[in-house]
Amino acid sequence: MMVGKRFLLGLILGVVSTSFSWFSLQAAHAACGSVTCFVVVGSQQQVPQAGLLTFNTIYNYTPMRLPDGTNGVIPAIDQADRRLILDHHREIRTITQTVTFDLNYGITDRLGIQVTIPYLWRTHKHLDGLGEAGPTGNGELVPFRDNGVGDVTFTGKYNILPTLRSMIVTGFGVQVPTGTTTARDDHGGIMESPGQLGRGHVGLIGSLYQTYELIPQRLNQFFYGSYRHTFRNNDGYQFGDEYNLSLGASGVPLASTPWLMLTGQFHWRYMVHDNMNASLWQSAPAGNGGGVDPFEIDPLFANRRVPNTGSTYFAFSPGFQMSLDGIIDSPLTKMSSAYFYAQLPIMRDSNNNLAQGTSYIFGFTRSFQLTQTGS
Amino acid sequence: MNRKNNYSQAVMVLLVAIFAVAVSGGLAWSMGSRVPVVGTPAEDFRLVDLEGKQQSLSQYRGKVVLVNFWATWCKPCTTEMPAMQTTYDKLRDKGFVVLAINELEDDAKVREHIKQHGHTFPVLMDRENKVANQFGVFGLPVSVFIDEKGVVQEYIKGGLLTEQLILDVVAKIQKREPIKAASLR
Repeated sequence: MMVGKRFLLGLILGVVSTSFSWFSLQAAHAACGSVTCFVVVGSQQQVPQAGLLTFNTIYNYTPMRLPDGTNGVIPAIDQADRRLILDHHREIRTITQTVTFDLNYGITDRLGIQVTIPYLWRTHKHLDGLGEAGPTGNGELVPFRDNGVGDVTFTGKYNILPTLRSMIVTGFGVQVPTGTTTARDDHGGIMESPGQLGRGHVGLIGSLYQTYELIPQRLNQFFYGSYRHTFRNNDGYQFGDEYNLSLGASGVPLASTPWLMLTGQFHWRYMVHDNMNASLWQSAPAGNGGGVDPFEIDPLFANRRVPNTGSTYFAFSPGFQMSLDGIIDSPLTKMSSAYFYAQLPIMRDSNNNLAQGTSYIFGFTRSFQLTQTGS
Repeated sequence: MNRKNNYSQAVMVLLVAIFAVAVSGGLAWSMGSRVPVVGTPAEDFRLVDLEGKQQSLSQYRGKVVLVNFWATWCKPCTTEMPAMQTTYDKLRDKGFVVLAINELEDDAKVREHIKQHGHTFPVLMDRENKVANQFGVFGLPVSVFIDEKGVVQEYIKGGLLTEQLILDVVAKIQKREPIKAASLR
């Protein structure tokens, strides 16, 4: 009966979408759902205890700039006419700020559901029309900015190996295309798919999260892996598959301050190149005086690999988390914590495209016991 | 770039697979067993108490046993212990015993806590987490009531145990009143 009640509550939470008497030894080392931020924050990856709702609010600042030795010349994606125009843009910068609302609910002690709702602010600059636009054919500056809800993700999770010291959680998520795909740049043209807030079609995400208390209540390790596949959208654009791996540890450095936890994790992310159903065009060389339109190479609408997409990224994220109820004992701080991470790139291969720079994450977690455990 | 990325991808997938197998194998010994079914015999265990003496569940056959899994860092655990102490004081001569099984902490810390709060029931040290796994414990506190014949009668996850609740359960067990099925709470 109570399992049914909790399932219904969980289902309602999942459809509408948009703290505790049963503690686990698992350290709450908090998470983030954005594609550009894959810091593992355990309160997201874990399955909460039955009847426990964990609410994460996460702010993420992610700059993307050209690495040294790259020139940022990439193709243009003309969605309206289904054209892939080689060497037509020179990327300058993208900055994405994301506030993610994440709700994680334990239907039973092993089964949980999660809803992740991102709200993004994105600004982007590139030079458009190489060989064609601008007084010297070096293109013209086209700024873009947009903000809104991104693609919402619903995830079902199951704790397959729960003990007091360890946990292995498998997850399966569906990312629904709630983010816009029709935002326009400052010149009135539809922004290309990679710059839009949404991906335009459903994505499927499989994940595995593992954690083990090496020294109970003092030191634990964790591992997280995920795979995402996105289907082709109505503009003929398909984002490439994405693989993420994170491995790290978190610990309480001083027994006298159990509310403070330090953490460090390594990330590896591999993104397969994107594809597009389009004809193929080529820009004239930049700096030739301008005024030369792109010329057609292949008129066939075929599934083409989008050059300069796909990337490999390896980073280290140090951070800390503070249990607020360990600092201030009050109803307002009960079952809540705040955390901060910096994500520092170690190796980046972005195919001459923009690459993620040092990113920052601030988050706040609060848990609510909605139904009694075990009932 | 294609070949390099494919190789990189294959290496990472292989590393993940090796890691997953290693983790699964390494954790196999510590894998939590299923929660004991009410009405079935409780699995016997043997642990050392704070005085260094070995104690077993079976040595308390003939008494109603409250097996309570706890830790000093677990606030609900420490909150319900006074109720356990009061009930232990009232019923220890009437066929009732409390076995407080501490999880994964060192003796000194536990001894200090017990002394500070004046608890006198037996405290057993589950340093390797094995008994917790036997009883399907992956969160604290958990309280298991076992009757005089060694059969599990109640399994309570979370808290809080109150004095009245403990008295009611013990009375129910000792009077042999029927327990409703699926009484996992």
